[in-house]
Amino acid sequence: MKILLVDDEKKFAIMLSKRLALRGIDVDVVFTGEDAVKNTQINRYDVAVLDVKMPGIGGIKLKRKLIDLNPEMKIIFLTGHGSESDFKIGSAEAACYLSKPLHIDMLIKILHKVVE
Amino acid sequence: MTGNFRSILKLLRPDFYHQMDGHLNPYFTFANYNKIWTVGILVLALTALVPLITVTGIHYQLIQKSVDSELLLRTERLTSNARRAVTFFLEERLNALRFTVNEIEYTQLTNPAHLSDVLRNIKLGFGGLSDLSVISPTGAQVAYAGPYNIEGKNYSDQHWFIECRKNNYYVSEIFRGYRNVPHIIIAVKSFRADNTFFILRATLETERLIQTVISYETGKHADIFLVNRAGIIQTPSKHHGSIFEKMALLPALKYSPRTQTIMASDGQGQKIVGYAFISTPIADTPFILMVIKQKEGMMGVWEDLFSSISWFVALCVMAILIVVTITCTFMVNKMFLADKAKAETLALVEQNNQLASVGQLAAGVAHEINNPLALINETAGYIKDLFTIAETYHQDDELMENIDSILEAVERCGRITGQLLGFARKFDIKIENINLKEIISDILLFHNKEAEYRNIKVNVDMPEGNIEIESDRGKLQQILLNLVNNAFQAMNEGCRLDIIAKRKGLDSVVITICDNGCGMPEDTLPKIFEPFFSTKERGVGTGLGLAITSGLIKKLHGDISVKSKQDEGTTFTITLPIHTKEELRDNENSLGGR
Repeated sequence: MKILLVDDEKKFAIMLSKRLALRGIDVDVVFTGEDAVKNTQINRYDVAVLDVKMPGIGGIKLKRKLIDLNPEMKIIFLTGHGSESDFKIGSAEAACYLSKPLHIDMLIKILHKVVE
Repeated sequence: MTGNFRSILKLLRPDFYHQMDGHLNPYFTFANYNKIWTVGILVLALTALVPLITVTGIHYQLIQKSVDSELLLRTERLTSNARRAVTFFLEERLNALRFTVNEIEYTQLTNPAHLSDVLRNIKLGFGGLSDLSVISPTGAQVAYAGPYNIEGKNYSDQHWFIECRKNNYYVSEIFRGYRNVPHIIIAVKSFRADNTFFILRATLETERLIQTVISYETGKHADIFLVNRAGIIQTPSKHHGSIFEKMALLPALKYSPRTQTIMASDGQGQKIVGYAFISTPIADTPFILMVIKQKEGMMGVWEDLFSSISWFVALCVMAILIVVTITCTFMVNKMFLADKAKAETLALVEQNNQLASVGQLAAGVAHEINNPLALINETAGYIKDLFTIAETYHQDDELMENIDSILEAVERCGRITGQLLGFARKFDIKIENINLKEIISDILLFHNKEAEYRNIKVNVDMPEGNIEIESDRGKLQQILLNLVNNAFQAMNEGCRLDIIAKRKGLDSVVITICDNGCGMPEDTLPKIFEPFFSTKERGVGTGLGLAITSGLIKKLHGDISVKSKQDEGTTFTITLPIHTKEELRDNENSLGGR
């Protein structure tokens, strides 16, 4: 399983990617939407884990671009917020919607489920 | 007995009498309803009573004045009549003497036998005379006819003789004289052919005069008698002294040719005094006729009337006071209840505003905290991973324990921020048809194991069968879950939880969640729906659970109330509408379009 992790919180993204790697998941980490687009053009990811609120290209817009590039790719949203509107949009647009702080085991479980 | 009296008194006491709920006080329009009530009763009672009492007072004065003038008039009439009788009595006898001296020759009059005949004839014609005597110009008694042996007396120095010689006629006051018996003398001067004069004198029987006066006495409160001009009593008086005594407390009497009436008072009360100076057309007399009536005694009828009026007025005053009190109590109570309802609404609005502000704040704080929290979580998690998964470092139990407590703390923080965000989210809703039995069963699934383990009996009762309502499933789940969680936290082993749902009217459903757990102290009950208020141990509860629950229920147009007793248990009662109102549906549509 190969996944793309996009979050502007660099330290968080790095830590999370290290933990996922330890659990045998192939993770690429980028910190902006632009880099995410570039990476998707080059690699074929099974799942993209996107932060909803990011400077530049936001999570929702980024998701559409990535799907355009790879329609098979599944999307999981992450958010530090949790407003109803975020939740509605997130649920409609993505396979799953998770709020921070995450439970690593739950993320792993969801990743496997989404890929199946 | 005292208990009964107290319970009746409690029943009569209006709502506003009891101390107002402390937390509602700032929202009341008027601070002191007892004062409004008192002032209201005073103003209303005065408005009604002052005119009544004033008119009654004026009426009383008028009646008293007219009674006074009536009494004066009656006394004047009586005095006047009695005066005419006494005047006529004296005048008649003076005229008899005048007739005698004009008709009968002096020589015949001085003949004692003839004088006795004349006395007898006058007695027969007029009566009231006891003797007759003829007096010469020197004052010597020339002839006498009568029962007393006073022949040969000389009267030249006597007052009556001097007066008669001067004025031709004389009427004496009552005096004892030589014979030492009370009598009146009347005398007439006449001239003989040789131009010398003589005086014919007669003694009057006082008894006849007394009877004439007394015959005018009416009732026990009236006293009628004669006095002389010096105030010495001449005929018997009932209340004002004996004969020849000075009249007690004589009012200063001014001479008047007419009958006079005045009001006077002495130590024994007010008196109506009528008096008349007795004077015949022939001669003046020393007599004053006195009629004295005790006013108190004459007022009997008037006093009865006054007493009836007073009773009537007193009853009216009582009736007015009762009606005013009842009306005022009713009005002020209505006003108080309306104000209380308003105050409760204001307090609720204020609380909702507070909740909304807290919601905004909570969302902001939660958002800001969640990102660093996520970093701590991942970093600590990574360190743990290094030990457990990568095995880069050797197993160190103490370090692991510390990392676990960091992760645990993060999880707890996450729960708090989650709740805070939930609190902020409470204003959005989504309406669907919900089966109450299902939703309650779903909630209880979470607690099945716990109930079994702790030997807690859970009983769900829907006496009218299943109920379907239109509501927001998520919110309703959260509400029920919060309340059931609270109940489980409050219960000890072997306790019992009852969840009862039934219809209330056509439009509502009432869900009661009743436990017999530890309960809450009564003084905390008004505060339990306030945010950040918790009865649980520090660090265990956030104080937001019931605030959120209450906010959610209000949002669903429902209502929540609580009853609790320490060590006996707690009952939460939720009322929810069965059908959702239009505005909620509109709200949902607008959210959907966002």
